[in-house]
Amino acid sequence: MSGDTSATLEAISAAFRDEAGAVCASLTRQLGDLDLAEDLVQDAIVIALQRWPRDGVPDRPGAWLLQTARHRGIDRLRREARYRDKLQALSAVNVEQVSREPDERLRLIFTCCHPAIAREAQIALTLRAVMGMTTAEIARAFLVSETTMGQRIVRAKRKIVEAHIPYRMPAREELPERVGEVLAMLYLVYNEGFLSSGPDRATSRDLSADAIWLCELVNALLPDQQEVLALLALMKLHEARRASRFDSRGSVVLLQDQDRAVWDHAAIADANALLERARRLGAPGPYWLQAAIAACHADAATYAETDWAQILALYNALTRVMPSPVVRLNRAIALRHVAGAASALEEVEALSVDLDRYHLLHATRAELLREFGRIDEAREADRRAFELTNNPAEREVLLRRIRDGGATRDGSADAAAPRLAREPP
Amino acid sequence: MGQKYVLMFVRDDEAFLADPAHDHRYESINQWFMDLGQQGKIVETGSELQPAHNATTVRWSGGNPLVTDGPFMESKETVAGFTTIEVSDLDEAIAIAKRWPAKDHAIEIRPVVDFEMDGH
Repeated sequence: MSGDTSATLEAISAAFRDEAGAVCASLTRQLGDLDLAEDLVQDAIVIALQRWPRDGVPDRPGAWLLQTARHRGIDRLRREARYRDKLQALSAVNVEQVSREPDERLRLIFTCCHPAIAREAQIALTLRAVMGMTTAEIARAFLVSETTMGQRIVRAKRKIVEAHIPYRMPAREELPERVGEVLAMLYLVYNEGFLSSGPDRATSRDLSADAIWLCELVNALLPDQQEVLALLALMKLHEARRASRFDSRGSVVLLQDQDRAVWDHAAIADANALLERARRLGAPGPYWLQAAIAACHADAATYAETDWAQILALYNALTRVMPSPVVRLNRAIALRHVAGAASALEEVEALSVDLDRYHLLHATRAELLREFGRIDEAREADRRAFELTNNPAEREVLLRRIRDGGATRDGSADAAAPRLAREPP
Repeated sequence: MGQKYVLMFVRDDEAFLADPAHDHRYESINQWFMDLGQQGKIVETGSELQPAHNATTVRWSGGNPLVTDGPFMESKETVAGFTTIEVSDLDEAIAIAKRWPAKDHAIEIRPVVDFEMDGH
């Protein structure tokens, strides 16, 4: 044991994150059974959560977890005769070797993110098996009950066993699709952390930091993949500007009003370097283009100096590789700065059927209508947006606009009217 | 030993039969079956089904049999055929399904119950 002091929860979480995935991957390989291995490691984590705060994090937390998982497994299997051969394999597990060479966590990640597993279960499985988060912790982060989250995990693991989802690296030709699954999972985890952060939400865990950590791990294990580098850059760019999103009273600060001096300019430079490396690896994919757009915002010294022509060009490319209505909506905002509010409004109106249930369609439409002095229609659109979002920060901005009208009495646009931040995420 | 999966071919019958070229498409579909058969992956050839408007469903309502016209679930897309393959794992089954030539179908892949496994 390291010293006589108690360990903080933060140090313990960090130890899990560093070790749990490797322990789980090693045990899965040695047992040939992801379901069992993953359960045993989770048991070991729960035991560690009882002991480490008191005894401190052991000197070799990985070996400790593997040893504990092994003991748990032997106890359990002794009660179940049908696992006789696995009991033998467990007895032979070498606890000195939490294998890192070659790192087996990638296989674990790809299996947890298999396309045959529902996205929400991919997230839960990955956070548990690779990051060493407990079911309770994951349930809290995603605002569902521990029972619900537990069932989600059990169902996914049962499918892995019963539908014979293999525990292996994807073949070369499958790699783009399978990497895409992992990245989509990671970006959802990142956004969950990003959007739920704020003054009102006391989360014990920063999921955004976890997503970046995991993306860095994927990048280390699977180097020179354009979209992996690009997603990493994208998340780092959001992260670099995170501190300026709320003011001291806890209200949302919109992009044009943010204090750019507090942005993390070193992180922005890192992200730009990642993007430059990624650019040479092939035709730009969706994450690369989104990151390049975020970089344009991050690189502008003031809001007025934003290079909207460049942003519009990037959105044009993005609508080709990812022709979704939400992308077109974001493109319309760039269009407003380049070609004017009339073109942007026309584009937004064209999306109003597809995105009728999406609050930012209505909020954006409201802003554009206001520029033409169409105040009543604008207020109606803001009301619709308000009904469609549960995000407290966004509701606050919308409510202010509905009350104040967001315009001066003569109907011209009021530059001080609050606007919603609407670049991704 | 491999794992058996039933592949269920799902399509919008009306749209499929209305396509004047649909006869020609059986050439590539037959080729798909021949290739799989030569690789020894097909364990039961299965059948192509008549359109769902010829389906009849029997279910029980309060213990009494109830016979109704049509498939078990009213839907534009219905099961139009099935075949059983035996492959090493789900990834191989997915790869085979991806080679299916008729891109207006959906293919549902269902693992078959293995009676030698525990729990059945």
